[in-house]
Amino acid sequence: MSVEHDHALTHLIEQFTSGDISRRELIRRVAALGGALAFAGSVGVMAPSGASAAQQDPRRVRKLSLAVQPQANVPEEFEGIQLAAGQLKQIGLDLEIQVMPWEQMSDLVWFNRQQWDMTAWQMVGRPERLDPDEFVYNLFHSSTIEKGYNFVGYNNPEYDKLAEAQRVEMDREKRKELLYQLQEIIANDQPYIFFVYPHENFAYSSAVWDPNSIVEAKGIGIKNFWTFIRATPLGEQKDMILNTQAVVQAINPLYISGATDSWITELVWDRLMRINPEGFPEPFAAEKVEWRDDTTVLVTLRPGMTWHDGQPVTVDDVVFSFQAPAGEMSPMYKPFVAPIASVTPVGDNQVEFKLKAPFAAFETAGLAKVNLIPRHVWEPVFADLEAQGINAEEYQEETPIGSGPFKFVNWARSQEIILEANPAHFQAPKMTRWILRDMPNVSAALGGLTSGEINFLSEYTGDPELLKQTVDTTQGLTMVSTIVVGFRFLAPNERRPPFDDAALRRAMATAIGKDQIQTNIYKSYATLADSHVSKALEFWHAPDLPDYASSNIEAARQILQEAGYSWDGEGFLLYPEGKTETLQTGGA
Amino acid sequence: MLRARLIYLLGRLAQMVGVLWVIVTILFLIFRLMPGNPLTAYIDPTFTAEQEEAVKRQFGLDKPLYTQYALYLKNVATGNLGRSFFQKEPVLDVLMDVFPNTLLLTVTSLVAAYAFGVVGGAFLAWRRGTKVEGAGILLALMTRAAPEFFLGMLVLSFFSFDLGWFPSSGVSDPGVIYDSIVEQLLSADFWHHLALPALTMAIYLQGLPLLLMRSNMLEVLDEDFVTMARMKGLPEWRIMLAHAARNALLPIVTALTVGIGYAVGGNVVVENVFSWPGIGRVLVRAVQAKDYPLAQGAFLLIAVVIVSMNFLADVFYSALDPRVSATKQEVG
Repeated sequence: MSVEHDHALTHLIEQFTSGDISRRELIRRVAALGGALAFAGSVGVMAPSGASAAQQDPRRVRKLSLAVQPQANVPEEFEGIQLAAGQLKQIGLDLEIQVMPWEQMSDLVWFNRQQWDMTAWQMVGRPERLDPDEFVYNLFHSSTIEKGYNFVGYNNPEYDKLAEAQRVEMDREKRKELLYQLQEIIANDQPYIFFVYPHENFAYSSAVWDPNSIVEAKGIGIKNFWTFIRATPLGEQKDMILNTQAVVQAINPLYISGATDSWITELVWDRLMRINPEGFPEPFAAEKVEWRDDTTVLVTLRPGMTWHDGQPVTVDDVVFSFQAPAGEMSPMYKPFVAPIASVTPVGDNQVEFKLKAPFAAFETAGLAKVNLIPRHVWEPVFADLEAQGINAEEYQEETPIGSGPFKFVNWARSQEIILEANPAHFQAPKMTRWILRDMPNVSAALGGLTSGEINFLSEYTGDPELLKQTVDTTQGLTMVSTIVVGFRFLAPNERRPPFDDAALRRAMATAIGKDQIQTNIYKSYATLADSHVSKALEFWHAPDLPDYASSNIEAARQILQEAGYSWDGEGFLLYPEGKTETLQTGGA
Repeated sequence: MLRARLIYLLGRLAQMVGVLWVIVTILFLIFRLMPGNPLTAYIDPTFTAEQEEAVKRQFGLDKPLYTQYALYLKNVATGNLGRSFFQKEPVLDVLMDVFPNTLLLTVTSLVAAYAFGVVGGAFLAWRRGTKVEGAGILLALMTRAAPEFFLGMLVLSFFSFDLGWFPSSGVSDPGVIYDSIVEQLLSADFWHHLALPALTMAIYLQGLPLLLMRSNMLEVLDEDFVTMARMKGLPEWRIMLAHAARNALLPIVTALTVGIGYAVGGNVVVENVFSWPGIGRVLVRAVQAKDYPLAQGAFLLIAVVIVSMNFLADVFYSALDPRVSATKQEVG
């Protein structure tokens, strides 16, 4: 691409960020610039002009690859990357955007860790991630570099030590201090260039459901357990009718098969503790949870609970529920019981948990995670499955039996799932039935909300502005927009220079205008991200972290200069004195 | 004559098996030659090498390609399409769960489209050269050319969201449970839900029979026997219906049979717009979720329907028009 092209591109980006032209228009004009920017599979944002490889300075940083999924799959991410790439170019980085399908990208990033330079990525929120431990430990601890979640290869012994310490620190305030320090390290080292915490958008009929009974949970939104047991009907309609776009794969207490599936298992099966709307665990099927010491927990079971088939819930069932995943029957729940050394009944209403080591997140990621399952139902099933040599993930109960606030009624595949309130439950729901409709067409779901076919829009992936307009112009609808625990970011591979240098990563963060991404691409339905602990987790999120909000090319170049970098005659970045380029452009 | 027809049909049957074999082979290769590992969606990055190997073994992906191919052919021939990665059920069961819905939608909309198309086509032929004919052809071409999702959204927005006459999604009202397919078919609720998706498909499908019928009629109306009928002084409507239309119908029958095949595959869009639980939905989701066994199975099922309907069309044709099987050269 020539210099004029570069100028035209910069001008376009300026027009876009100042709001003069729309997102669509930006993409159209960029495409018109020669189509070279992004639309063909792997085309350079700016191919080096003129100079042949032979004449190049050996210190010149190679052309770097940046993997991203196609625009059709992840429109916001794709557009955010285009914007970021233009800004990175301005600090002298030569980029090649490689558009590839998710399978290929995932294969490259997870399984070929030496081969790529940068990738656009996201971490999604899940209920167990309401405790910061999973992200804090798994994403950046050096033990997960080779295999596991540390795919960027971040290695910092100081971070490791603190990440281990927060794990065993049972004092919440002290643990918070440790987490603040960890977040400061990450903010300084920038192993991820954080973009945003996206918002999740919901709406419901406030003519059908009393708005005071709808609960917004931190990092989750209004589609949560507490809403479902507390939602109070105002009139004749006592069924909550919700939509989902995802296909429900299983209703199985021993298999984590998908986000939607998890909502159902949470309602049918009880847990000793539940994550409350503030994001902290509190006793639920347990009447009391007492820490005897750092590794011993005594749980007292709530009296009078019954399974949906009428049998009483016993301490034996509880012990069975925590022992079952420890074997080979439930690989997905195995990590949640891994910290447990032993579970033993104490009398006929208490259970004692012995942990292998102190584990601060045990309540969230253990007691509030594992489903209580009836021994009399599952013991014979396990025997059967063992004989066939398969695990419990492969098994679907005809009529699932739990002890939760909702009972299973019917599942018509690809159509709907019906649950009904369990009046015998100690927190019996106020609604009569909970009906989840399978609606892949998001516009139809929105139309269904206005026409009354559904009364709780529990999943909405369309344009948030459109949802807002619809809610504003239709009587009796309420919209709720919530920050989630997940985040989107640009991940540089620290195994490959120049990304092994924190100064360069800081310069990248300084150059990229996250605020432009947030306002222009996410239309403000997202919050600026500055940490791997989401702002949704108010208690744990460190205040006053540098957020690198707006693009500052001057400052970025300054950082590079101070770290010894310089630029060649064509404006491309040169490594500091004494360092030369040894790698080829990465990517599949 | 009968023998010639039999030989012809056997030949067609052999061809059909050949075509299916090619399709099966392509499906096998497509999913293995795609960039990335087919198990990426299945293998968690935290898996150990042993776990990964175990998963590969479980799906037979540790064997050489030709062994996998032989196994795959054998399984397909015996009706074993494997197990869905995520739904943990045999692929055939997952597909058969929703196949009746697809079939009902397809047949209803085809019958409606062809009934309308045949009558409309005959009418336009009868009104040849008038403004009515010009407008009719234009309308037919427009509806035929409009993308189905666009048409679907228009229908949805008008009849469901604006007028509120019909529900927007699914096969039944929330919370309604049918014990059997018969009970479902006999309920007004089901037909109420079927109306909009069937209408959308019918609007899309009617163009072909309409235009085909019109041109056939025009040809037939020039034939000697029609002139003969006119000379006999028969009333015009009788000439149209009893003499011309009857003869013009032949190619429509073929188009209908082939149409069933294509409509099954073409349901993908309509099923998604109207949240209709059919093969098309399963296919789209299987592809999105990277559930390869299920996607492969859905593609195969659609291919089987299309190929067998083509075969059936040949059978009909040879029965209706003996010239087809008399000499091979005439078989297009």
